[in-house]
Amino acid sequence: MSDFRFGLTHALLTPFADGRIDYDTYRKVIDFHLRNRAEGLALPMHAGESVSLSAEERKALAEFAIKHVAGGVPVIINVSEAGTAIASSLAAHARKAGATALICSVPYYWTPPQSMLVEHFATIGQAGGLPFFVLNSPSEFSEVEFASKSVVELLGKLPHFAGLIDMSLDWQYMIEVVTVARAARPDFQLVSGNEYMISAGAIGATGMLSSLASVSPKLVRELYDLCRVQDYKAARAPQEDAAILFRLFRDAGPSGLKAAAKAMGRDCGAPRQPLPTLPDAAARALATKISNVGSVKAEPRGWA
Amino acid sequence: MTLVLKGVMQSPVTPLKNDFSPDYETFERLVDFHVRTGATAISWPHHKAESHNLTIAERKALGEVAIKAVNKRVPVSIHVSALALEDTFDLARHAQKKGADAIIAITPYFWKYPPEAIYDYFVKLGTSFDLPLIAYNSPSYLDGIEFTGELTARLIQRLPNFIGMKEASFNSEKFFEILRAAQPLRSTFAMIVGVEYLLPSVSLGGAGSYSSAGAICPNLCIELYESCVAGDWDRARAAQYKLSELWLLFRDQYPSSLKGGCVIMGRPVGPTRPPLPTASPERVKFIEKRLIELGIVDSEPHGW
Repeated sequence: MSDFRFGLTHALLTPFADGRIDYDTYRKVIDFHLRNRAEGLALPMHAGESVSLSAEERKALAEFAIKHVAGGVPVIINVSEAGTAIASSLAAHARKAGATALICSVPYYWTPPQSMLVEHFATIGQAGGLPFFVLNSPSEFSEVEFASKSVVELLGKLPHFAGLIDMSLDWQYMIEVVTVARAARPDFQLVSGNEYMISAGAIGATGMLSSLASVSPKLVRELYDLCRVQDYKAARAPQEDAAILFRLFRDAGPSGLKAAAKAMGRDCGAPRQPLPTLPDAAARALATKISNVGSVKAEPRGWA
Repeated sequence: MTLVLKGVMQSPVTPLKNDFSPDYETFERLVDFHVRTGATAISWPHHKAESHNLTIAERKALGEVAIKAVNKRVPVSIHVSALALEDTFDLARHAQKKGADAIIAITPYFWKYPPEAIYDYFVKLGTSFDLPLIAYNSPSYLDGIEFTGELTARLIQRLPNFIGMKEASFNSEKFFEILRAAQPLRSTFAMIVGVEYLLPSVSLGGAGSYSSAGAICPNLCIELYESCVAGDWDRARAAQYKLSELWLLFRDQYPSSLKGGCVIMGRPVGPTRPPLPTASPERVKFIEKRLIELGIVDSEPHGW
């Protein structure tokens, strides 16, 4: 088992031009996150429109990113899919391409029983042979949750199962998972899948996967660092700003993230269909709301 | 009207005799036990007190017993929520007349209604009585009927006696949204977590908890609160993990198992009224085993 620790990982946007992945801009995206102190890069997450990419595009994107990062920081590949075999092929490819770890959510669309979820993850995880993180996000997956007892079952079947990324924000669930999983494996990692790092950190999360990093990399870094030293009083101020931004982008999704990145001088093109491109007026309104968040003034503009 | 709530507050169960009639004597003893073991406030009858299974007359009579038994050592709030809001107002009138220090009420049961109806209801409740008002938010039990930050802020601006909220979403985003809307408007507004999820709530700025397990393990509850306030997060995590395990043990058919656990601790409080089951002897044995494994039996007071 690798000693990979999740740390502060940024979720990248996927730039498009003329309907194709815009690799020239993607290079800039990667460099931007590296300069802004990402400890790892995760791609393509929902923020990177993973669902709108073909399997071939996802493989090409992974290869490109891994080559460009060239070992600078870990690259973590999201292999979430509806079908187990398709996800497994993405996982096997990611390993060959040199990825450091894998992320996988419950299947799209289907709502199989917990026993099949364990099968799904075990098969994909074995195909990948890399540190494997389950992404729990019931609100995005018809309320399907990876139950704590299934976490323990998967630990028994998949030695590479390294941790759980939680996007549920549910205290009962997170504490239950940490309690049972660490009893089975003390180094099991809980990762906060969004920027509510104070409560997740208090519960025992050691990593954070951030989509807001495309807009506010300094803010998420400050929040993460304060939570890692458990100074939750000082973390309250950045947590407040992160909560406001989280709310804005939860409603606006990748369309909003792309509009905001563009407003900050990092044009990543339009989101792919069926996601809308925010109309100018909506993009301006969003940009105004974002610039009203105090800490945003200190955030980088352009690709610097 | 200056009532500032914080710390571990207890909401006693309702002791019943074997014929399911209220056991007034044991109730007095239980309330006294909570005050002696560190409760910073008493609040009755929450759902764990089987509020829905008591007649309005019983609620009034037992409420008086609680107020007398506490005898002003700590503040007493009366939970006035009932299916029919006519009963709610009747209970609130009675609470005021008998010297309660506050009333607490959940969003109305069963019906689906727009957020504005929540506003109107709490305004009416808050302006009809000269008592501090605590609201109770429990979206998962009330099918998504819930307070938002905006609604809470409007109520604070409208009601000088709106002093706090029992918040039982157990969700970082929901809890923090209400907290950050409320505290700039009323710095003493108390965000009180529904059961003792103190680790993720106090770290976010929460004031305390309405306890679930206080009749079983008051020492552990207070240790959790105090270690959170002191920023001793390792100690807090250990206590929280243990209390979360107890909550999972008690949560199903609440408060049947909790009452079963009271038998083990030498503080029997009788059966649970149907349709809730009474913990069977086998169930009580199982609870005893868990309480021993978790070290509760050895570290907490036995008997009254």
